[in-house]
Amino acid sequence: MHPRSYRLKFPEPVPEADSGFPGSSATPSVLRVRPVSPPPKGPPKRPPSGPGEQPALALEPRELWIAAHVPQLSLLALRTATPAAAHGSLVVVDPEHPQRVIDADAQALAAGVRPGMTLGAALAAAPGIEARPRDLVRERELMQRLAGIAAAFTPQVSIEPPDGLLLEIKPSITLFGGLRELCRRLRDACRADPVFRQAGVAPHFTLAPTTLAALVAARAGARCFITDAAVLPARLKPLPLAALRWPEEHNARLTAMGVYTLGELMRLPRAGFARRFGPAMLADLDRLLGRRADPRTRLVRRERYRGVRDLDHEIEDHERLLQALAPLLAEMETFLRARQRGITALQCRFHHYRAAPTHCTLRLAAPEASAERFTGLLRERLATLTLPEPVRRCELRGGALTQRAVTSKPLWSPGERGHASAGEMPSLVEHLRARLGNDAVYGIERVPAHRPENAWRKSGKLGTDLFDDDIAAGPKKAASASISSSNKSVPNLRPLWLLGAPRPLEVQRGRPRHDGPLELLSGPERIESGWWDGADVRRDYYVAGDRHGMRLWIYREHADPARWFLHGIFG
Amino acid sequence: MPAANDRQLQELLAHPSVWRGRSRAAVETLPTGFAALDAGLPGGGWPRHGLVEILTPRPGVGELYLLLPVLAALSRATPARWCTWVSPPHEPFAPALEAHGVALERMLVVRTLSSRSAAKPSQRRRSDGVHLDLWALEQALRSGACEVALGWLPRASPRAIRRLQLAAEQGRALGVLYRNERFAHLASPAMLRVLLEPVNRDGRHGARLRLLKSRGGSREPIDVTWTAAAA
Repeated sequence: MHPRSYRLKFPEPVPEADSGFPGSSATPSVLRVRPVSPPPKGPPKRPPSGPGEQPALALEPRELWIAAHVPQLSLLALRTATPAAAHGSLVVVDPEHPQRVIDADAQALAAGVRPGMTLGAALAAAPGIEARPRDLVRERELMQRLAGIAAAFTPQVSIEPPDGLLLEIKPSITLFGGLRELCRRLRDACRADPVFRQAGVAPHFTLAPTTLAALVAARAGARCFITDAAVLPARLKPLPLAALRWPEEHNARLTAMGVYTLGELMRLPRAGFARRFGPAMLADLDRLLGRRADPRTRLVRRERYRGVRDLDHEIEDHERLLQALAPLLAEMETFLRARQRGITALQCRFHHYRAAPTHCTLRLAAPEASAERFTGLLRERLATLTLPEPVRRCELRGGALTQRAVTSKPLWSPGERGHASAGEMPSLVEHLRARLGNDAVYGIERVPAHRPENAWRKSGKLGTDLFDDDIAAGPKKAASASISSSNKSVPNLRPLWLLGAPRPLEVQRGRPRHDGPLELLSGPERIESGWWDGADVRRDYYVAGDRHGMRLWIYREHADPARWFLHGIFG
Repeated sequence: MPAANDRQLQELLAHPSVWRGRSRAAVETLPTGFAALDAGLPGGGWPRHGLVEILTPRPGVGELYLLLPVLAALSRATPARWCTWVSPPHEPFAPALEAHGVALERMLVVRTLSSRSAAKPSQRRRSDGVHLDLWALEQALRSGACEVALGWLPRASPRAIRRLQLAAEQGRALGVLYRNERFAHLASPAMLRVLLEPVNRDGRHGARLRLLKSRGGSREPIDVTWTAAAA
């Protein structure tokens, strides 16, 4: 089988006619290397015993990696951080060794400044240069920005510090309509990004079956579009040794041995190589050629939505405020939908002229992304909000992104034809809570306790999970049924209403009264409990009827001045 | 073609939302759990969707016993939907409800005069509370997330009740509005109006019900006994 080999088209702005894309002719495997490396002058060909000359797998590669390398990232970071410094020649120095030049822009390079020079030498070569320490935070930001773009193409994205990015795209090929289409879209997406577009810098992309091969080719600025692991060693041969970014001392020793390219490196005997440079370096080489697995942890972006809008004029009206928030909410919906995520908390901040910003936080029972829902909830929440001053600026901050169950819309409207309206359950609770406050809406649950006031409690966790599946409700239902059957004797003795606090009853001639004399119908039932927690209770409960036909649940305290209290109402 | 027209007319009249004065409308109903009441109500039970108004002389005279069987049945219905209580006069006592077969996890209590507003009494007037009660009850009924919503509204205008009735029909829920009997003489757009008088003598604990308004229900008073109630 003739090994198929391709060259990468997309890093270059002008595509060439002889680009080796699938469909064009099978061009011989040529790799063009941008930095001119010293001419290979290694020893003549040896039997294939070198570390790189073992028979490689001729199978379809299991993985395909795209590497993106941002050339002169430290320079780009400084330029994009402060646009004012765009003119004049700029050199970047190491913040730890301020005398060492790391990178230099085109003007400085033209003047003779080279990376690795001391600052003194650079100033001597070009007196007008401006030296600045590199901005590592900004560099990381830029790479994360790039990773964010790449994340639209594959979930397996990892940053290779400081200036490399790796994407595993094998599973995404079909989705994006072929490898070529995917590469084109990725390149276009990076070019369309405002930061990179403004700086006029485009990342350099390469494709290879192994991570290191793609990275090395990208760093060397080589054109590399390899989908076949079998041709990998041959294609990597002309790349310079420095692209591996091995420690300086190893590079120096290898150069001293006359090894300048990867091809020459691969020709060295394995055993001797391992002895001289250590097994770690050999493992690196194996990873380069795909003989050793090179798993990468995927980058998990901790993202939040944040949007700010300055208003043209001050707003006091709630409805207008909601209208002003609408574009931000729509933007947030796009943001969340693109990530197939939802948020459960949303904060609005309204900035005023003098007063401190007004905060308004919305909490949801289930992750939500729809702007319409947020608008509805915010309308309720804003209605209860008092603004100290007109609003000049509004800010929207979304909470942590959480997995959102993507559901299809039902055919029937809620409640129609026995349609399960599980989606409406949390929304009703949120809606009520947005307007009335969190404490105002609650469920009730039973607590196995003897004191009536302790036998129930409010439950704030209103089961959104409960309504998700009836399977989960099945055993619960059975359990509660068994409780009720074991409590068969209780129902007739417990009232349906419990007063928030027992209400003292007036007593006339030793008999309790409640709007007239009370008639004791049954009792007493002694409840004596709680000596351990300070709320000691010793009560005799009676069922009493009043002259209006009401049944009351009253008790007499066992304490010395035996007082009567009303505690519940039957019915 | 008079025959065809007649048939079309019959089809039209058979539509559940068409109600003719003397006939019992074909409404979907739920058994009340009281045989005498089932016999007296149009369709043989509480309407499945719509607003029922229960008028009592005072709270706690058995109006909850009247609804317990249907509450127990609806709270165990599938698909699961809420049973919402808007501004109940006291706390619904969980052990008693559970003992009567009500599924507690489907209960939702809404208090419009909550601790939050209690902390800032100056910011909320009484009319706000009534307004919020109505709003909350309407939301619950309209949402489609509730099987039944009970509301204790001291004051409600006919217009508000009309809104609640429409919301209940839209959300396919049973709305129950508890009001004082002094509103009995006022017109109300509710589907069914029941006046409840407690009866508590000769060892009988029950109530006498009168259907003030119903679509073809009994005009005679209906006596029910609270079998589930205290001895």
